[in-house]
Amino acid sequence: MKRQPAGLSIVIWCFFSLLALDGMTCRATGESREYQIKAAFLLNFAQFIQWPANAFATPDAPFVIGVLGDDPFRAALDQTVEGETVRSRKIVLRRGRTADELKDCQMIFLGKSEEAHVREILLRLGKSPVLTVSEIRGFARRGGIIDFYPEGGKVRFEINPGAAEERGLKINSQLLSLGRIVKTEKEEN
Amino acid sequence: MFSVAAPPCRGCGMNSVMIISSAGVRAAGRGFIVLMACLTAGIATNLRAQTTATNLQPPTAQNEGPATYKKMSLQELMALDVTSVSKSAEPYADAPAAIQVITGDDIRRSGATLIPEALRLADNLEVAQLTSSSWDISARGFNSSVGDKLLVLIDGRSVYTPLFSGVIWNMQDYLLEDIDRIEVISGPGGTLWGANAVNGVINILSKNAKDTQGLYLEAGGGTQTQDFTGVRYGGQIASNVYYRVYGKYFDEGAEVFSDGKSADDPWNRAQGGFRVDADRSPQDQLTLQGDLYVGDTDTVPGGEGTQQAEGTTSGANMLGRWTHTFSDTSDLSLQVYYDYTHIAAPFQADAALDEPEGLLRDDLDTYDVDFQDRFELGERNRIIWGLGYRFTHDVVSNAPVVGFTPGTLDQNLFSGFAQDQIKLIDKVYLTLGSKLEHNDFTGFEYEPSGRLQWNMTDHQMVWAAISRAVRTPSRYDRDLEEPAPPAAPFLGSNSTFESETVLAYELGYRAQVSQKVSGSLSLFYNDYDHLRSLDYTPKTLVPFYFQNDLEGNTYGFEFSANYQVLDWWRLHGGYDLLKEDIHVRPGGVDLDDALNETADPQQQVFLRSSMDLPYRLELDISSRWVDRVHNSDGPTPGEVPAYADMDVRIGWRATSHLEFSIVGENLLHNYHAEAGFPGAAQEEIARAVYGKVSFLW
Repeated sequence: MKRQPAGLSIVIWCFFSLLALDGMTCRATGESREYQIKAAFLLNFAQFIQWPANAFATPDAPFVIGVLGDDPFRAALDQTVEGETVRSRKIVLRRGRTADELKDCQMIFLGKSEEAHVREILLRLGKSPVLTVSEIRGFARRGGIIDFYPEGGKVRFEINPGAAEERGLKINSQLLSLGRIVKTEKEEN
Repeated sequence: MFSVAAPPCRGCGMNSVMIISSAGVRAAGRGFIVLMACLTAGIATNLRAQTTATNLQPPTAQNEGPATYKKMSLQELMALDVTSVSKSAEPYADAPAAIQVITGDDIRRSGATLIPEALRLADNLEVAQLTSSSWDISARGFNSSVGDKLLVLIDGRSVYTPLFSGVIWNMQDYLLEDIDRIEVISGPGGTLWGANAVNGVINILSKNAKDTQGLYLEAGGGTQTQDFTGVRYGGQIASNVYYRVYGKYFDEGAEVFSDGKSADDPWNRAQGGFRVDADRSPQDQLTLQGDLYVGDTDTVPGGEGTQQAEGTTSGANMLGRWTHTFSDTSDLSLQVYYDYTHIAAPFQADAALDEPEGLLRDDLDTYDVDFQDRFELGERNRIIWGLGYRFTHDVVSNAPVVGFTPGTLDQNLFSGFAQDQIKLIDKVYLTLGSKLEHNDFTGFEYEPSGRLQWNMTDHQMVWAAISRAVRTPSRYDRDLEEPAPPAAPFLGSNSTFESETVLAYELGYRAQVSQKVSGSLSLFYNDYDHLRSLDYTPKTLVPFYFQNDLEGNTYGFEFSANYQVLDWWRLHGGYDLLKEDIHVRPGGVDLDDALNETADPQQQVFLRSSMDLPYRLELDISSRWVDRVHNSDGPTPGEVPAYADMDVRIGWRATSHLEFSIVGENLLHNYHAEAGFPGAAQEEIARAVYGKVSFLW
């Protein structure tokens, strides 16, 4: 019974030599996976929602997705929309720091950096036909249209059909059936 | 006629049953274990199944990246797991424990058709198939047929039987397609989960009904799994309210005796159930679920050349859970369940005892309520606390050769726990907590633990833990009599049998070494006291009775690693080492010479390869090497030789709705033994092949 377990030292050696490898790429990779998935959600949302004709300046105007504030997607969103269309409109990405810069977008994603400004941003957007999406907690209940939330390690979304209607957007029932339906709640002051 | 030197406990199963003499009675014990399908009792439980959910699963072997995701439907995107990467989403994502997570996709690709087969995917478990319908499963040793140191929960419902504190695996099933993941924690989990989580905890979690919408059908058959069929339909009742209903049936063929002849132990089982998940509001989630099942299990309790007998199992359960979320770090949940199990296990006649054959019947009702709350206290403290109560009503109808006294037993279990995760400095956390329980056999029990965790970097963690856990007495320890009263001269009940205890020291390291490589290493040293032994009555010798005269230690480690070689090819490797030194305490007695509690391989090696091939083909190869197992027949040592075996699955996703697969199990041998004392009753596991079609709409 004094015998060394076969292969034990090799196993340990392998393990520690693996550790020596550079692992710094890991974090970036991890985050990007989550945002790659969320980027694909954005693309999907666009397919399930109908914008009024006045949302576009011209019949062949592109479909513009704006990212407001800090951009968590980095290249993932660019890669996702590359070569894709929304109802045969080309997709264009735009990044901005204020709501005014992105006012003529059809979809705006609010980064976490905008948490304190949600109310102001929504006011500035008025009733324009913009699909607002965010991962800020409770965004849809604060008057936004869709927010992402984590559940059991998976990406889920809340959707506020009332807010979409106010902006003249028509949401396909299939999208409604997959999300958690919420209403605009009064903000506590 | 009986001497102490004569083999008292004949080993392969419920040792006491085998006391009396040789093959016949021994087999009765085997029958007991094999057939005793059953109960669910358990322990204060878990909502923790949800909160400690700890996802460490590596990325699936599918191609990843924007190009892949953008082609997916919303439903497919919603099924993707992101916790492996975004740990902030899941507060327990880097739990300081030896945990492995088997995902639903891992199960599908393994070709497993039953839960025990799926558990072979966890490197930190010992899984040994004993007969066609029985398995011995344990973590870190003590894998005897009355293995009693592992707690198993299905969606928060404890499924071990208070008869012997073990799990009757042929009673635990689910439509595997609807299992979200199985979390396997080796090492004590008593602080959160309570008594019985001595050497490990298995959490089997089914998918949220929202994730099982639509129609799913599967059917197939083959050499051992002769035919099987499963169906599930998921739909929506109202906005934010989803349901599914499912059914499953299979016929499993017989295994063989060591000479290759049929062991005449085929079995079949039908199960159906439902789950409803409702988001009443963004903060409130409700789950209601239930299952109903019935199984017929044939065995040859006397071993080769004796009569076949039939055992039956059935059961039903219903569980409701309400979770209210205050914030990312604060929620509370309330869970209530009822569980009923019935078993009828045949025992053969025993000539030595002059007792005829007959069935042992057991009917168990379990009522359980569990409350848990989680909140943040200041900047540095994360508190979880909870309360639980369980009532069990157990009615045994004795077989002539074996019985329980009293026949009817009501038991109450009260429990409470509190745990504080304290942020000591940046990236260093200390978790302190304890469970306090009160059971009717031994009164108060406490199970404290301390865990230290250092997140060295975003992708490396070191942890260390010291925990105490107990295994409270089961009815087997205290109430078993052989033969059944009024005869009962051999094995007598012992109302002073106390709890077994362990003090466990653990050290672990986990790392996501790079985008492609991840691994973990967990070391342990366990110090056990008051383990079960078999004693005799002075002068008269009989009755024998169970006592707490064993003690000792075990140590070893578990290593596992994943390597995503290419986008379409993933490798997994695992290695376990286990050393055991269990002996009779000074001045104590064990008629089984300390051989009867441990039937474990010293080493196990696992290697798996998962490939996504062109034309939507999948090729999965899984191989294992399991060291020889030392078991015993009373004080007589026995051995099951080391073996290597391999499973292969080839799957073809013909369309996004239709999948075909062929699975070969245990391909390297015609048949091989994994457990059981060598002899007329030992069974071996035959090579098996089956085909399967599944349809998802």
